[in-house]
Amino acid sequence: MTMTHPGLPITWALGIVIAMLLTGLGVMLIRSETPRDRVIRLARLPLIGAPLQRFLQRPWLLLGLKILFVAVFLLIIAAGLYGTPIAERNFATVITWNIWWAALIISIFFLGTSWCGACPWDTLASWLVRHRLWGRSASGLSLNLKVPKVLRNLWPALLLLIILTWLELGVGITTNPKATASLALLIVVLAIVSAALYEDKAFCRFFCPVGRTVGAYSQLSMIELRPIEPDICARCDTLECYRGDDNIAPCPTHLVMGRLTQNTYCISCGNCLQSCPEQNVGWQIRSPSREAIQDARPRWDEAWFILGLLALTSFHGITMLPAWESLMTGLAQQIGDSGNLLISFSLGLGLDLAVLVALFALAVRLTQWLSGNRQGFRQIFSTFSFAALPLAFAYHLAHNLNHLVRESSDLTTLISNPLGTATQPLGMMEKHLRHLQMLISQDSLFLLQALLMVFGFWIAMRIIRHRRSGVLPGATWSLLPMVLFAVLINLFHVWLLMQPMTMRM
Amino acid sequence: MQKIRLLLLLALVQVCIVPPAVAHHVLGRPSYSLSEDSNTPPSMQVETQIGKFFVTYMVFPAFPRANEPGRVNLYATRIDSGEPYAGQISFSVKDDSWFSSDEETLGTQPIDDGVFRQGFQFNKDGDYIITARFEADGEPYAIDFPLTIGDTSSSTPITVTAIIIVLFLAGINIIKRKQLLRAKIRAGQEDKHA
Repeated sequence: MTMTHPGLPITWALGIVIAMLLTGLGVMLIRSETPRDRVIRLARLPLIGAPLQRFLQRPWLLLGLKILFVAVFLLIIAAGLYGTPIAERNFATVITWNIWWAALIISIFFLGTSWCGACPWDTLASWLVRHRLWGRSASGLSLNLKVPKVLRNLWPALLLLIILTWLELGVGITTNPKATASLALLIVVLAIVSAALYEDKAFCRFFCPVGRTVGAYSQLSMIELRPIEPDICARCDTLECYRGDDNIAPCPTHLVMGRLTQNTYCISCGNCLQSCPEQNVGWQIRSPSREAIQDARPRWDEAWFILGLLALTSFHGITMLPAWESLMTGLAQQIGDSGNLLISFSLGLGLDLAVLVALFALAVRLTQWLSGNRQGFRQIFSTFSFAALPLAFAYHLAHNLNHLVRESSDLTTLISNPLGTATQPLGMMEKHLRHLQMLISQDSLFLLQALLMVFGFWIAMRIIRHRRSGVLPGATWSLLPMVLFAVLINLFHVWLLMQPMTMRM
Repeated sequence: MQKIRLLLLLALVQVCIVPPAVAHHVLGRPSYSLSEDSNTPPSMQVETQIGKFFVTYMVFPAFPRANEPGRVNLYATRIDSGEPYAGQISFSVKDDSWFSSDEETLGTQPIDDGVFRQGFQFNKDGDYIITARFEADGEPYAIDFPLTIGDTSSSTPITVTAIIIVLFLAGINIIKRKQLLRAKIRAGQEDKHA
């Protein structure tokens, strides 16, 4: 029997719609604002600021995290390959898909790209290729080639993200411990091949679908790594943050701290924190919306990545609807598909991507037409794509919260028996108990989901309003198609949250 | 503004500390389930679709072992009407390995209370493919299902990964050595010319 989680009640959905209406009107008609530049620099906090900064500058902190995550990663591989094939009893599948994949997205809001700093894929690749646990190394085994121009964008990461989604939802590796472990190993191989061929961390910068997802969403993070005093960076001509020093490696994604305006490509490796001779780099807390609203620079490939992220995020919700199965069945019958119905699934995935991009492109074209603007389509497309980011992030968080809160119980049993030795599949009673044992109360979950949906919509409205000054100055009613796009997508996401959702495993 | 924020925060805290209500029923269903095989060990279940049929395949017990009896239950229903397929289904088995094509017939079963039941007993652990064949509306149907007997945990993915990594890094190492050698020769020649 397939278990489903109850969806958001209609009263909550109505509340979200009313809040959307109010915030939408508020942002578009009443307030004209620029996001606040106020930040809280952790290094300047009274009493704890200086020790905290020193603590964060120590390489062993990150090294300790790396060793811990590599150990967990190796346990996942071992459990996946040698443990029970029962997905819900195996450490590999539960930790990877129920805990890590769900918690990673939530962590981005609070910790930005911190995951990338301790990522086991890159750690293993660096250790094997560079032959150093930390710090600057001679080239090791790497050829240090430049990444070919054709690959220096986010298209490879977008393609890999689509493939990952296909494997996750279509092939169903989430319920197959062996396949989960094999995928993890495959990504290690890709990271090692990239590290051995290309200079610095090309895999993290261009190819990693997880890293680029973290990078895109981290534009909405409440934390950033930036200069403590921008004036010091303005006067700096040695650029240790970019070039490194005798002991510390240069920035692996070629960022100059003094000119850094977005989190996207920072992988939180901490090199700049350690190499700056002025100790002028530190973590700071900021308005989570500022970067997407004004600081981040529009780019064509990033715009497509963001739209891909939005489409794939919605797709996760769609495939977990009980109705999805009957839809696939009908389609499979029409086209003569059988077995795992992978052709039908691939068509559904392709259709989802195509419909979303087409809708956005239509909104951009209508906006362009209504405003009578001569700006290029690409520029408007790239600029307003930032509005899709909070819509995707909010729904992704709301959806993942559902998984995390409802499917993470009984972790102690799993940790005490990670390989699931001598276990049996979940019985009906256990399934029901797991269904009832939530990490927080159901009302708290609904409240958080509702707040997230309103928050995402509010940020999207502010992005549309603020970003127009760059491409469509003075535009008012001509922004209506973009606003309608955001309303439509957010309402669709709210509707998805209202539907009963199939339990992952 | 501060007051509104405080109120929102208080509301959030209040809702968060309310414990979840433990119901006797979930979504109106009783919290127990007795299937036709309630006194048998848990089963592994695979659902699939082929042509005009939904096919559900269950293995009892969930993890059959070598030299112990097991059973396959197969349900085939028409997608359009939900009617069960009423003919006969023949079951055969083969090794799920790259170099094996030997197929052995397990038996042919008629429908029994809506189910096609096929018993089996294997004398060797391993991964097998069970093929169910039947004919409906003049069309032949063949469906493959995986069946694992005993513990078949495999080191192949790790071995393959290690071999790929070692060979690749060895190749890179050779290229780097050649590059260094060429650089040394070039430097030596430049010194001579100078």
